[in-house]
Amino acid sequence: MILRYLIILLILLPIKAFALIEVDITRGNLNPLPVAVSPLSIDKESKNSFKKILKRENVGAEISIIVENNLKQSGLFNPLNKDAFLQKPDIANLKPRFEDWNLIKAQALITGRVTFVDEKLRVEFRLWDVLAGKEMMALAFTTVPSNWRRVGHIITDKVYERLTGEKGYFDTRIIYVSEEGPKTNRIKKLAIMDQDGFNNKFLTLGNELVLTPRFSPTNQMVTYLSYFRNLPRVYLLDIETGMQEVVGDFPGMTFAPRFSPDGKKIIMSFAKDGNSDIYTMDLENRIVERITNHPSIDTSPSYSPDGKYITFNSDRSGYQQIYVMSSNGKNVKRISFGNGLYGTPVWSPRGDLIAFTKLHKGKFYIGVMRTDGSGERLLTENFYQEAPSWSPNGRVLIFYRETKTNSKGEGFSAKLWSIDLTGYNEKMVKTETDASDPSWSSLLSN
Amino acid sequence: MNRNIVISFGLHTLLVIITTMSLPFLIKKPIDLPPIVSVELIQITDKTNIPFAPKAKKIIEKIKEKEKKLVSEQAPPKKVKKQKPDAVPLPDEKIEKIKKIKDKKQNPEKVETEIKQISEFEKKDLFDPNSIAALIDKSKVESAETNQKLDKITQDQNKEVDFVGLTLSEEDALKAQIFGCWSIPLGLPYNENLLVRIKLQLKPDGSIIRTEILDHVRMNKPGQGFYKVLAESALRAIKLCQPLRVPSKGYERWKELQLNFDAREMLEG
Amino acid sequence: MNLSKILKNGFLILVASLVLTACATQKKTTGQLEGDVYSGSESVEYLASGVPDRVFFATNETVLTTASRETLRTQATWLRKNSDINVVLEGHADERGTREYNLALGERRANSAKDYLMTYGISSDRISVLSYGKERPVDSGSNPLSWSKNRRSVTVKAN
Repeated sequence: MILRYLIILLILLPIKAFALIEVDITRGNLNPLPVAVSPLSIDKESKNSFKKILKRENVGAEISIIVENNLKQSGLFNPLNKDAFLQKPDIANLKPRFEDWNLIKAQALITGRVTFVDEKLRVEFRLWDVLAGKEMMALAFTTVPSNWRRVGHIITDKVYERLTGEKGYFDTRIIYVSEEGPKTNRIKKLAIMDQDGFNNKFLTLGNELVLTPRFSPTNQMVTYLSYFRNLPRVYLLDIETGMQEVVGDFPGMTFAPRFSPDGKKIIMSFAKDGNSDIYTMDLENRIVERITNHPSIDTSPSYSPDGKYITFNSDRSGYQQIYVMSSNGKNVKRISFGNGLYGTPVWSPRGDLIAFTKLHKGKFYIGVMRTDGSGERLLTENFYQEAPSWSPNGRVLIFYRETKTNSKGEGFSAKLWSIDLTGYNEKMVKTETDASDPSWSSLLSN
Repeated sequence: MNRNIVISFGLHTLLVIITTMSLPFLIKKPIDLPPIVSVELIQITDKTNIPFAPKAKKIIEKIKEKEKKLVSEQAPPKKVKKQKPDAVPLPDEKIEKIKKIKDKKQNPEKVETEIKQISEFEKKDLFDPNSIAALIDKSKVESAETNQKLDKITQDQNKEVDFVGLTLSEEDALKAQIFGCWSIPLGLPYNENLLVRIKLQLKPDGSIIRTEILDHVRMNKPGQGFYKVLAESALRAIKLCQPLRVPSKGYERWKELQLNFDAREMLEG
Repeated sequence: MNLSKILKNGFLILVASLVLTACATQKKTTGQLEGDVYSGSESVEYLASGVPDRVFFATNETVLTTASRETLRTQATWLRKNSDINVVLEGHADERGTREYNLALGERRANSAKDYLMTYGISSDRISVLSYGKERPVDSGSNPLSWSKNRRSVTVKAN
């Protein structure tokens, strides 16, 4: 009897394995992930020390606010209201009571502790999977206290990377042109700030017109256009030393500069006798090389991340379109074929997409297309916006937008905006003054 | 704009066709052509195309020199604070020993982890191949045993029953429930093959005895960060949803279920 | 036979003339605009009595209009008379384009004015070119008339 039973079981088992029911889950919600950012705990002594140095009431709580704002800004996370938190920060950091965090529907939890050690700020933080009841990550850093905002950004980068699988973009800076004054005579200065708008600093005084700054890959140098002495030329500025120099020895206007991905060259347009072509200059040996040679306007060049290709803007077809060529100027190929005019192509740091500005039927769009021109997607439409710049992870674009003025010329403003590749998460980037021509740095740490 | 070009092009073509067709007619009776309007042609002569004038060069050099002098007095750009090497946050050497409340549910001990790199730490922490257990909830081993007993009984009863899949309505109910629980990580690329297959063992009430990621090897492979993120989100969805909305009858059919999570459709849309 | 031929030819002429009308670009003259080139004088200044300082362009165009050529001929005459004066041609674009392309466009506009002055005997040594792109509009409005005033090349005395 028992034997028979066993035989039946043996026969049934493989059948059972075959008959495993599969259910395909192809849909889910696209709501941002609910995250609880518990304030970083801080002991009394450390708190007082930081208060003296930084003039901040509670650095722990403020760092967690930076993390919260960053996560929210990304559009991928929904930081939960702190009022609903049941557990105290110090205890949560040791051993979260997951049921409590589950109750407020948090799926991930960030806890941490700030201490003052040897005149330095030490932060440890942990990321918890609330539903699985597990620790996902734990890290600690030490830094000088004045770097406290960056600590918040670095924590966000680590959390973002752990939860999304791609690198973050929060410990970064934006260089841009600060604008003031009437539209007919704007005063423009180079300015630099953290990605979230804090720590703003001006790099020029506004005595001459400056435009289109771009970071070098290491974020040490900036190349930009200055009208110093009414001679529009591409300049190079060392952010650390403040040294400036003209790039190249051109007998005419040079403009639209960018760095090559290895930081060794500057690529730009040089205009002469009504014709703009693309040139490069090697920063080491100062050798100038002509890349395009065509009677049309060729401008807004941008290298692919591997440095093998260049995308640029040309009106050789009669209208502004986007082209791709080898970095030596050979194999020029038009890639934009949609309706309207296309400008400012920028190669994504991931290499798969080209962002651009499009003008069609009196509207300006920021969009992306694959590097062969297929898969064009327009992310945002407005009266006037242009000049996208990629976040270092290739997920977000920052650009500037100008408003329409009335017949008296009132109501003009220029602001920075960001949008991610989904096209849904559009946010204004806070700046002290009006702003334009943003350029995103690469990650400062790592 | 383009429409006009197309129209114009079409009409022009028509004109060409007509002219070719009726050429004899035109020869016979030439139409008075309108007088040719003289167009001013500006030739770009060599004169216009002046090579880099030595004069301009001199001017530029002069200005450059002036600039050099001026840089210091003109706009000494405010220095952005230099990041000293020690200012750059580095992973601290030690992370404190995690005070572990002894708990049956989890690994009784956590080794003091020395980290120099995050990845290293993570490996030790979570995705140690030894602790695939982390993916499998061991807490309910006990109840699983009782279920095995249950199994035997039901098996006995349904010996002859063919193992068929869920009916459409049963499947829909389950799908709809999980759709609601699954927060798709929005940062994932839409053009990669990211299919996460999870095998479930269920209790008759739809609560979960164990979950197993079928390709869990992929979780720890470098360059599979997105897969790991998706797998974790799928596990969260299952946890969030339990007890699962399973049919009231036929436990034998669905006591083991495989869920295939595929986000491509959503991410593309 | 003959009648049918006349009819056929008549028909062809009709079609041909219809087709030809398609070629004519519509030029509406609405107040200060001719096509979309500014034809007013509101922002215009004078280098000397009867010598206007600027010429205007159509959207995205660098071609000189008949009126522009006339203005430039007046300037050339004036420059020939005042051979000690050098000029800077400042090229501008309206705000409806990307900044970088507009810089190139302004340069091209100023150069088309320069080339015209040169064909009328003004030495290139006396003319320099400077593009401001969309940076220095004369009219800050956001409407077609304002934009037309901003698409310009202005001749400025350099000394």
